[in-house]
Amino acid sequence: MDVKRLIEIISEDIPRKKTPIYRIVLSFIIRDFKVWWTYKFWLLLDISGIILFVITYYLFSLITTSQQVQEAGYMVGGYFTFALIGIAFQQYVHFAVQSINESIREEQWNGTMETILSTATDFKIFLLGEVCFSFIVSSALLLMSLLLGILLGAEFYTTPTSILTAIILTVLLIASHMDIGILSAGVIMKVKQGSPVTWAFSWLSQLVSGVFYPLKLLPWYLEWLGRAFPLTYSLDGIRLCLQSGKDLTSPAILSNIMCLIVFVIVATPIALYIFKVGYDAARRDGSLGQY
Amino acid sequence: MEYAVETFDLTKVFVDKEKKGAERYVKAVDHVNIKVKHGEFFGLLGPNGAGKTTLIKMLCTIILPTEGTAKVNGYDILKEPVKVRSCLGWFHGETGGRSLYWRLNAEDNLRFYAYLQNVPKDVAEKRINALLEFFELSKDRKKLVKDYSTGMKVRVMLARALLHNPPILFMDEPTIGLDTISAVETRKLLKALNTELGKTIIFTSHNMFEVEQLCERIAIMKDGRIIADAPPSVLREMLRDVHAIEIEIREVNNISETIQSLSSLSIVRKVVETRNDSLSIIVRLQVDDEYEAIPIIASKLRSLGVKVSAIRRSEPTLEDIFVRLTKEGAA
Amino acid sequence: MRVEDIIELFREDKPRVSSEIRHVWAVFWANFKIFLSYRTWVIMETISTVASVAMYSFMGLQVDARRVALAGYGEVDWLSFALVGVATANYLWMCISRLSHSLQHEIREGTLEPIITSLINMRSYIIGQSIRGFIVSGYFMLGVLVVGIGILRVPLVINPETILSFIAIILLMVLSYAGIGIMAAGLILVYKKGDPLTFLFASITEFLGGVLFPLKYLESIPILYAIAWLMPYTYALDAARRILINGATIFSLNVLIDVAVLLAYTIIFIPIGLRVFRWGVNRIRYEGTVATY
Ligand SMILES: Nc1ncnc2c1ncn2[C@@H]1O[C@H](COP(=O)(O)OP(=O)(O)OP(=O)(O)O)[C@@H](O)[C@H]1O
Ligand SMILES: [Mg+2]
Repeated sequence: MDVKRLIEIISEDIPRKKTPIYRIVLSFIIRDFKVWWTYKFWLLLDISGIILFVITYYLFSLITTSQQVQEAGYMVGGYFTFALIGIAFQQYVHFAVQSINESIREEQWNGTMETILSTATDFKIFLLGEVCFSFIVSSALLLMSLLLGILLGAEFYTTPTSILTAIILTVLLIASHMDIGILSAGVIMKVKQGSPVTWAFSWLSQLVSGVFYPLKLLPWYLEWLGRAFPLTYSLDGIRLCLQSGKDLTSPAILSNIMCLIVFVIVATPIALYIFKVGYDAARRDGSLGQY
Repeated sequence: MEYAVETFDLTKVFVDKEKKGAERYVKAVDHVNIKVKHGEFFGLLGPNGAGKTTLIKMLCTIILPTEGTAKVNGYDILKEPVKVRSCLGWFHGETGGRSLYWRLNAEDNLRFYAYLQNVPKDVAEKRINALLEFFELSKDRKKLVKDYSTGMKVRVMLARALLHNPPILFMDEPTIGLDTISAVETRKLLKALNTELGKTIIFTSHNMFEVEQLCERIAIMKDGRIIADAPPSVLREMLRDVHAIEIEIREVNNISETIQSLSSLSIVRKVVETRNDSLSIIVRLQVDDEYEAIPIIASKLRSLGVKVSAIRRSEPTLEDIFVRLTKEGAA
Repeated sequence: MRVEDIIELFREDKPRVSSEIRHVWAVFWANFKIFLSYRTWVIMETISTVASVAMYSFMGLQVDARRVALAGYGEVDWLSFALVGVATANYLWMCISRLSHSLQHEIREGTLEPIITSLINMRSYIIGQSIRGFIVSGYFMLGVLVVGIGILRVPLVINPETILSFIAIILLMVLSYAGIGIMAAGLILVYKKGDPLTFLFASITEFLGGVLFPLKYLESIPILYAIAWLMPYTYALDAARRILINGATIFSLNVLIDVAVLLAYTIIFIPIGLRVFRWGVNRIRYEGTVATY
């Protein structure tokens, strides 16, 4: 093709319409899906990682007593069900937050970030797009680990109202952790390393949110710290639903839901603000494309 | 006499696995036979994807050939790779400053490779200092490479290729990413290494001017094959039947339309390039007979209302040869 | 500095000195410096190591001590039992994955190509990288043990004999897995993405090696139980526990058996690993993907 022809094609004036947001987000999801699909192997690893994790805690539950768990108010299923819920949901949000970070890092590494941000896409939509796919994949993994747990003998209350309440709590869990993902992505843009925010959430929440043990086994200061993490409220709520058959009529559940809503309302603007700051800082340093 | 580099039907076929089953073969280097004498400054030209980098990487033992072999400094690249490595310096400009440890400073990077190249410590330090100074990196030597500009990274990589004083240098686009002054200095250094110390240099570049200025012999590659291999003067001789005209345009409404109508003239073979000087646009045409063409072109331009400040006959350059050989496929 | 000075400098050519030790040192030192440049990462990892030990101590509160005794180390509290497991498992996992990890990095950054054109051979390269791995992972293992023993007062037997024996066992453990680590690195060269092999290996090791529960509980699943005893890690962990929990030394009979098994694995796997690695290097040289990620 010669130069003139090319210039003609490029300079042809196409009236620009504003692309609807869902189309942009969808195009992100499709892109991520395609990239992810080329690494099928990774999925296999994620799955086998979770399977091994669940089985390990199944075996660990064989040497534990269920006394503490029952004293904490989680009636059926014993320690294994308790730990299964903890692991499944903690992995769920960890995986989602992690993959938001990964995709931002990947974009920076490949230099595609600069390109995307130089297109007409608003950064909020860019973020939404990055986030959606991670949550789709991790939801699938969550269901899988719960099913595996049931095969290994976990017991749940399965009344419609308690399941519905658990789903509401899960949605709030997602909303609160999207904020954390966005926040840590903002930090990553600035510091260019595995984000300290993800790290803190992953480890601290494992330590103080009651993933592996009821909160009352913790000393008072850690128990208190645990109250800063949305995972704590979600796990407590979900366990009360699935292990004790509670639903929206229970005050304990309602207070958990309230706390999560407050967290989301407070955290969303902060997360967006920090992302913006990180993004602007990276643009100022000229290090958007640098990793 | 032994050659510095001699290839014997050197061939590389890449397999692109697209999907399961579907394989595409790319003949990146296709039965190449070149001989480079000791102390020669040898240029390798070719459009993107011609196979220059692949050829050089094979000679540097980074890529294994599919077929054929080569000798570097008398050593076979397949049978004696270690000996081959001990006598070559490789620079690869395309990576744009990758291929260094970004989290080490320039000094540590160079020291690392000096160790791997078995350079004694005192010699290494002396050379590192000198090279850093030459490439004007002395004051940034303690800074991590990740904070360097592309050109600075390129200069560290150049220093790395020279550090162990190899007799044969493979310089794959050494001036890419360098500013004009550094490029001039680098060319001077390469030329001096070649003339003063008798180093053999295999050189690629997309900058015709520097190839013409530096190289004693030039091979032109296309689609993996060598389509011409001769000194620049001989290559120019091949162009005796090509005649070029340069038009300097002062004022024009629509340049692409003008070029289009010029190239539709039967007497014009090809519009080679258009350059934008600060004041005027220069268009270069290849024609069959310049004396016949000039008046025709002049009247055409006049009818188009283009203001022309000069139309002149022009010597064919390496660029013309290159375009001609690679586009028209003559050998 | 002018061109003439550089030319003058290169005119005097001293013979090069060939020394594998210098190569190993250069690889080690460069990579160690790179490691140190990731300061935030080091700090974060350190803190999370401490956090994980704390987490295990709370988990231990729910454990039924009678069932831990099934492991065969006498009346042992679960935290001592798990602490030795976690420390060794982490060490092993870090050591093995470090090599693959750095290779992946070298491919990605394009630094493997200049290494290939240099005079270093792959053995020195692997050794240099591994030494870095030992030291870095050793730091974290020390962290686990210090927190466990110093802060949580886990009653491990610490005296000069057990310390030396423990170090010897750790070395043997790493050597028995070196072949597999090198093999994984070779596969990474070719398949680029991720270090799936080491990842799977680590999780399986941790799961089957009895880090958190006595292996007795696997007996009901004979296949897994058999696999568990095929892994060198199971023996290394057994030896480490005998030493740190029961105060045995490397010359105690039970430990000697473990040592013999570890040695056997070392001798068998290292040559295989090197073979695979060499195959990997040649394969990517053939495919021309030394710097393609
Ligand atoms: N690892 C690889 N796998 C598949 N194909 C490859 C690989 N490396 C190079 N090629 C192909 O081989 C051909 C020659 O590439 P090469 O990089 O040698 O060209 P080049 O002459 O150096 O081009 P440039 O001027 O752009 O540097 C190209 O078609 C390229 O796509
Ligand atoms: Mg090239």
